[in-house]
Amino acid sequence: MNTREGWGMRDVGKLREPGTGNRERVSFRAQRGTALVPVESPRSGSLRSLAALGMTLLLGASPAFAQAGNPQRPAAATGAPNAQQAPPLDLTAVSLPIPPAGKLVAITNATIMTASNGTIEKGTIVIRDGKIAAVGADVPVPAGAKIIDGTGKYVTPGIIDAHSHSAAEAINEGTLSITSMVRIEDVLRQDGISLYRQLAGGTTTLNILHGSANTIGGQNAVVKLRYGLPVDSLKFEGAPPGIKFALGENVRQTNRNLQPGQQGRFPRTRMGVEDLLRDAFTRAQEYRRDWQQYDAKKKAAKTAAERAALIPPARDLELDALVEVLEGKRLVHCHSYRADEILMMLRVAKDFGFRVATFQHVLEGYKIADELAKAGSGASTFADEWAYKMEAWDAIPYNAALMAERGVVVTINSDSDERARRLYQEAAKAMHYGGASEQEALKMITLNAAKQLGIDKRVGSIDVGKDADLAIFTAHPFAPNARVDMTLIDGRVFFDRATSPTLEQLIEQMKQRKPHVASEDR
Amino acid sequence: MRLAPPLVSGILLGVALVLPRDAHPQAPAPAGTWALTNARIETVTKGRIEKGTIVIRDGIIQAVGANVSPPGDARVVDLAGRTVYPGFIDLTSSMGIPTPAQPQAGPGGGGGGGGQNAGAPARNVGLEPGRVIANEVAPAAADIRASRDAGITTALVAPSRGAFRGLSALIPMRDDSSAQYVVKAPVGMHMGFQGVAGRYPATLLGVIAYERQELYDAQRHGLLMDRYKAGERGVPRPAYDANLDALVPVVRGQLPAFFGASNENEIRRAVDIAKEFDLKLTIVGATEAFRALDAVKTARPLVVSVEFPQAVEVTGWAYRGAQRRELNDSATRDAAVRKIVEANAGTLHRAGVKFALAPGALKPNDFMANVHKAIAAGLPREVAVEALTIRAAEIAGVGNKLGSIEPGKIADLVVADGPPLGDSTRIRTVFVDGIDYDVIPSASGRNGQRAAGSGGRGGETAQVAGTWIMTVNGPQGAMTSTMTLTQTADAIDGNMISEFGTAAISEGRVNGRTVTWSASFQMGGERTTVNFEADVDGARMTGRLRAGEMGTMTFTAEKKP
Repeated sequence: MNTREGWGMRDVGKLREPGTGNRERVSFRAQRGTALVPVESPRSGSLRSLAALGMTLLLGASPAFAQAGNPQRPAAATGAPNAQQAPPLDLTAVSLPIPPAGKLVAITNATIMTASNGTIEKGTIVIRDGKIAAVGADVPVPAGAKIIDGTGKYVTPGIIDAHSHSAAEAINEGTLSITSMVRIEDVLRQDGISLYRQLAGGTTTLNILHGSANTIGGQNAVVKLRYGLPVDSLKFEGAPPGIKFALGENVRQTNRNLQPGQQGRFPRTRMGVEDLLRDAFTRAQEYRRDWQQYDAKKKAAKTAAERAALIPPARDLELDALVEVLEGKRLVHCHSYRADEILMMLRVAKDFGFRVATFQHVLEGYKIADELAKAGSGASTFADEWAYKMEAWDAIPYNAALMAERGVVVTINSDSDERARRLYQEAAKAMHYGGASEQEALKMITLNAAKQLGIDKRVGSIDVGKDADLAIFTAHPFAPNARVDMTLIDGRVFFDRATSPTLEQLIEQMKQRKPHVASEDR
Repeated sequence: MRLAPPLVSGILLGVALVLPRDAHPQAPAPAGTWALTNARIETVTKGRIEKGTIVIRDGIIQAVGANVSPPGDARVVDLAGRTVYPGFIDLTSSMGIPTPAQPQAGPGGGGGGGGQNAGAPARNVGLEPGRVIANEVAPAAADIRASRDAGITTALVAPSRGAFRGLSALIPMRDDSSAQYVVKAPVGMHMGFQGVAGRYPATLLGVIAYERQELYDAQRHGLLMDRYKAGERGVPRPAYDANLDALVPVVRGQLPAFFGASNENEIRRAVDIAKEFDLKLTIVGATEAFRALDAVKTARPLVVSVEFPQAVEVTGWAYRGAQRRELNDSATRDAAVRKIVEANAGTLHRAGVKFALAPGALKPNDFMANVHKAIAAGLPREVAVEALTIRAAEIAGVGNKLGSIEPGKIADLVVADGPPLGDSTRIRTVFVDGIDYDVIPSASGRNGQRAAGSGGRGGETAQVAGTWIMTVNGPQGAMTSTMTLTQTADAIDGNMISEFGTAAISEGRVNGRTVTWSASFQMGGERTTVNFEADVDGARMTGRLRAGEMGTMTFTAEKKP
């Protein structure tokens, strides 16, 4: 194979650009010597404008200034000659329905799949101030609660996608191989229609990771799909920070075409990847030592003048993040495929004294499940993707179930805006192929993901005290005909198939400039 | 209308006078003493004077009022029926900034080595906080003139892209070496979210991380420099770094950061960075500020661009690409949504947000056309005028020097036949630093006087025979046509070949350096007579045309050698 024109990372320059598609997957489908072949693209003009308007409405949806019913039409301008003012367009009135903060809500008579304590038939969930206040078969409905009738419905914890590239305006800063200083949090966007589709698939939390162009890609962000609120509201408050690593073909960039002005980039082999990692963490150790020495001197200083005379080391954002890894304060999520490179990563982590929180994709994880379990590393994999490139050759759909059997905390992720809206079907495949139990399969898209991300005290199962992040299905979530009826985050209904406006309705609403009146909380 | 007085010697007297300009040691060009009488004066800050006099001396407004008497040495001009208002200030100009050479392509993907940051181009374009625009700016005469013809008398110049673009300069729109008469520099540190192709930081991710690191470095650099300058012995000497030197006043809140941020998320990102480093933030662009009212309400006044998104008709992958442009959501490319963006300024005004209006990358004429669209979408006209004058001056830190007609301010004035931003107002003359520049020359010839005026132009009849390549700044972008002229004394003849076919020239006249002609074109199923008027300067002409319903456009033409 021609190493310059292969079907690898020709499009790294494009990878880092935002879009709504699955960036990493798109890269694999780039054709020899041609531009990218889109995996999916809007086809018709009407579809375009629908999506466009949907986004606009989202952008205008900050509750801080959504003043429905207060159109603020000022009198025509005074004093200025030629003042023939058209009635001003009231932008503050164009808004998506933002659900009111949940007060007291009860979901009654539903089949509740808790993901932690089995399934409760004809059960009730009471939600108070966004938290689960009670759950069980004999839970009384408190007076004054808004009732959601769950008769014939299935309730699961809100689905957590452990590997997403949605909602970010850039993914790969592919110019350097160590970019631990870049942060997904800086480039979040809330205006992609795919977020709404994911919400309509019961997904409530995303782990937004960098792409796999770099050995150390950058600081990931965990978000809740509080769709319609300003971008700052997406952040999962209190989620532990994390960082994306990557190994293998994408990092060594064997087939990369350089842009004008661009330099060939180290590393070119898997050996180089290891060297780069060891070098980076050695620098981080030295940097940490400099700061420790400075702190010690500062502590030992007797007078304020002595303290003031000390010069702190230069702050280095690249190494700051790696020091946090060394100190166990930042979770490592490592893109990987082959068993050998995973073992290499485990050795590096052991030598530098940190844990790899999760291996992502980890397609050969079934070969080294015991080593993963022993290292305390989670595994986040595809349900059934294999052989789409050389390093994915040995992937098998039994991977998730086999690793889980050996005690690895396993999740099934999307890595795709499309799969992210039907992760419950992906989880069902673990039962189909590997014989995982129903609850084990459900945990792979809920509680296990929460554990991997360090947010299992908040989300991931239907237990008292946890956030009321819930998906209500029309049928058993693993049944082919199941659809999500309603998605709640913090007890607020962010998606309701019955009343959520269609895009067509939103367009009409906007054309007529009618302020949308938020529906009553239920 | 021509303002030149009968006494040419009056101008010459002015040569000896030195204008109080703080940025330049040399004596500026003469401006003389003027008394503009019987004018309707829109002072902007002190209301309107229906019939008053403005006295200008040596480029400074000396007196304004209804009962001001013209001084004895002044050139008195009767402006009955005319309106005088302050010149507009363009805060988003990038005229006259040379483009440094781009780095060359690297070696084609050779094996293993190199390491990070291998090799570096000679110049980090877009990553140059220490770039001093005042030292580089050299605007083209045609750009200056096009701005002035639209009523713009001052421009804040900085590169339009890059993470750290450099230190901007506020320059007057005068013909004689604008850069020499810088009104203020530096005005601010200009920043943005654009990376560098092919090297770190290339993406938004990298740019923000890079900016953060650089600002931390500047904090530390300032600390080390302070210690070093304190003069104690034994203090290590910090490395000299012009870029960090330039950033120290920025991280100390002494120099404002002009941050290019158009869409909602860009605005919020800029606000976040400013909060993290306690920057004195001025958001520039703010096209979607109405979607981030909560964020901008507490910020300093905005520079709101009226460069509205253009519609694009694309499908498939290119459609996705369109979503990534400066206004990143494809939504803004939908006609209904573009209409919404036009209402941005009006919405900000009703929300109590203070702002200046700016053209973004628009040409001056398009700038004014879009200001009118913003007005049509709900922005009160007088607020628009303020936004182009006193607000802009305040944001540039020269609220005491520009932006209104008050004694002591720089005499940057527009004389027009109607109110500022009036629907049919035509600008007649523009004063910059008290120097008068005609926009619409009077029909009756005063060529000799014109020649003796400020520009020092010759009084002979221009020779225009030959072939000209003309570029018209049309609403859909530049249109090129070829014009062949013959000249007999002051009459011209010939034809024009354009995308609308070949048209014969009629009523062609040369009057000194002004040439006027008409031509009739078949456009959109209608025959339209277009009237041209241009100023000839050797092998170059700049002018404007009026094309019936299509309105007024500017053009330039170059004579083929």
